[in-house]
Amino acid sequence: MAAERLFTVARKEFSDHITSRRFVIILALLLVISAIGMHTGIGHYNDRLESYNQQLQQMEESDAMVKVVGPYPGWMPEKPSIMLVFNAMMSYMTTLGGVLAIAIGFDLVSKEKETRSLKSLLSHPVYRDEIINGKALGGIGALGFAMVLALAISLAMLLVFSIVPTLDEFAAILVFGAVSLGFLLAYFAIALTMSTVAKESGNALIYTLVIFFAVTTLLPVLGMMAGDAFAGDRPEPPQTAPMPTPVGRSVTGTASGGGYFTTSVSTKTVVHGGEVEVDPEWQQYEEDVKAYTEKRMLINDVTNLISPQMNYYKVAMAVTNPRIAVMMNSPYSTKPMPEETPGLAEALSQVWMNIAALIVFPSVFFAATYIKFMRMDIR
Amino acid sequence: MIQTENLTKVYNGKTAVDGLNLEVGEGEIFGFLGPNGAGKSTTILMLTGMIEPTGGRCLVDGIEVAKDPLKVKKIIGYLPEDVGFYGNLTAEQNLDYFARFYGMDAKERKTRIAELLALVHLDGVTQKAGEYSRGMKQRLGLAQALINDPRVLFLDEPTANLDPEGVREYRELVEHLAGEGKTVFVSSHILSEVREVCRTVGLLAKGKLVAQGTLEEVARTLAPSDGDAVRIVVETREHLPELDDPGIIDVERNGNRAIVRAKTDIRDRLAATLFEQGVHVREMRVEEPDIEDVFMAIYRR
Repeated sequence: MAAERLFTVARKEFSDHITSRRFVIILALLLVISAIGMHTGIGHYNDRLESYNQQLQQMEESDAMVKVVGPYPGWMPEKPSIMLVFNAMMSYMTTLGGVLAIAIGFDLVSKEKETRSLKSLLSHPVYRDEIINGKALGGIGALGFAMVLALAISLAMLLVFSIVPTLDEFAAILVFGAVSLGFLLAYFAIALTMSTVAKESGNALIYTLVIFFAVTTLLPVLGMMAGDAFAGDRPEPPQTAPMPTPVGRSVTGTASGGGYFTTSVSTKTVVHGGEVEVDPEWQQYEEDVKAYTEKRMLINDVTNLISPQMNYYKVAMAVTNPRIAVMMNSPYSTKPMPEETPGLAEALSQVWMNIAALIVFPSVFFAATYIKFMRMDIR
Repeated sequence: MIQTENLTKVYNGKTAVDGLNLEVGEGEIFGFLGPNGAGKSTTILMLTGMIEPTGGRCLVDGIEVAKDPLKVKKIIGYLPEDVGFYGNLTAEQNLDYFARFYGMDAKERKTRIAELLALVHLDGVTQKAGEYSRGMKQRLGLAQALINDPRVLFLDEPTANLDPEGVREYRELVEHLAGEGKTVFVSSHILSEVREVCRTVGLLAKGKLVAQGTLEEVARTLAPSDGDAVRIVVETREHLPELDDPGIIDVERNGNRAIVRAKTDIRDRLAATLFEQGVHVREMRVEEPDIEDVFMAIYRR
């Protein structure tokens, strides 16, 4: 494969994308809505920052030895991260971003079959793999361009509101952009595959949308149903023993389209007549519930690995809100929440499977596209 | 220049091209005739390196196409049937895209594209290719086939969408290209079209080569067999007298006209006999098989 021919195709595809009306309209919509979301996010960030500053001020004003402002002694308020602002972008990325990725991919090959330009192109000295790889590269370039624009606008908005990211935050923004691009590539890859498989662009779009809705809505539901089916019946609480006091965490999160759901009923102690004792029936019940829910979660999480939305949601959450991400990923942890927010690397290490899934998913579809295109009948 | 050896292509168990052996010399204008579905386009696709043969091989300028399709594509030009372009690009942009695959620099591309657009009368057209009529697309198709100044040109149903003026220009262009020493391979199911431009033809039916040679040779090969007899058409001004010659097999009479079946060409003897009897000969010729009829018979098979 000659790089020159590959880039000739990629350059033409990239140019076609960024000058197409369809791309420009959807991109503009995505940018405008993201900007509005960012604006709201900046408002929240400023509120949190103000609250943080007030807490600091109150702490300084109170007795230096006995800090009673926070929930427990030694507590220090945490400065809000500007990554919170990017939380708003996540939901737009999963909807409009997905639409943009599908819009540029669904007729990439089928349109060439319909207009017969593919035959004309193949009559010139260029290999099929150079064409399909060039098309993929051009599409990735266009989506990358859209991402860079979105991030540039976000950064510009932050600067307009006098919010200057630190080096770590800047790195996190770049990682967020890369993860978002990975998500867009998943749908671009599906659309490209369907475009290669289908004879007509209309069918390619329908097939792509069917898969889109299957992985966004049907898959999480199926995951939960599979979880219910394989985990068996939920353990019943003891009838006679008194109810313990729950002190564990309870975390609930939903991505666009729903799906992620975890609960914790971790309990620790039961106080009777001033003595701390553990009721064996309740202890057994706790362990049963924990095992049941963990099993359910495992099946659910494995199913969700096939969903680009869920993977994106988890990884993006680890980047934008690592503290919540840690809680979501280990809801049964009995350890107290860390006082320090986990670093970016630590947060990402917790979601390595989702990162891997975000890479594997488009790779599988790109591979399928490649094989189909190489064997395609071009009569 | 073009050679196929036992070339075969099978699609889903159906043989589209069946053991084709063909040879086209350099500088020839070769007409590849056959009814729709005979396997002409499939043969061209194999010759141009677009699809791989199931069996046999084909060579262009001594290069085996399946083994080095890119090398072959660099020296050939191909106008596909129902040629298509990128509708969002102008003719110039389309040609520029294709020209890039030949390693031509910007200046070279610009010059060549301007020449070709003038040649096919699309210079000055600012419309995008998506707005072109079929005829305009066909002209642009011819230009894209010539973008690399090919040594061999494959044209698949080249006049299908052209108006009479376009057809005339196309014929002139093919003659001009052949004059430059290029080999032109024209595939068509229209006999009259091939007859106008091609010096040699090959007739394909059901994936098999039925005959190859000049049109007359092919027609003679395919004409209904009449043994070794020669059919002589005779028409006289006066009533045709009885013909008595040892070479005559039989005579079909119709007034002043007759078709004489003879063992050999006895026109000289017949003319002398009639002259001696004072009969004026209006017409005397050996009846050649009608090309149209012969081809139609093959098409109807």
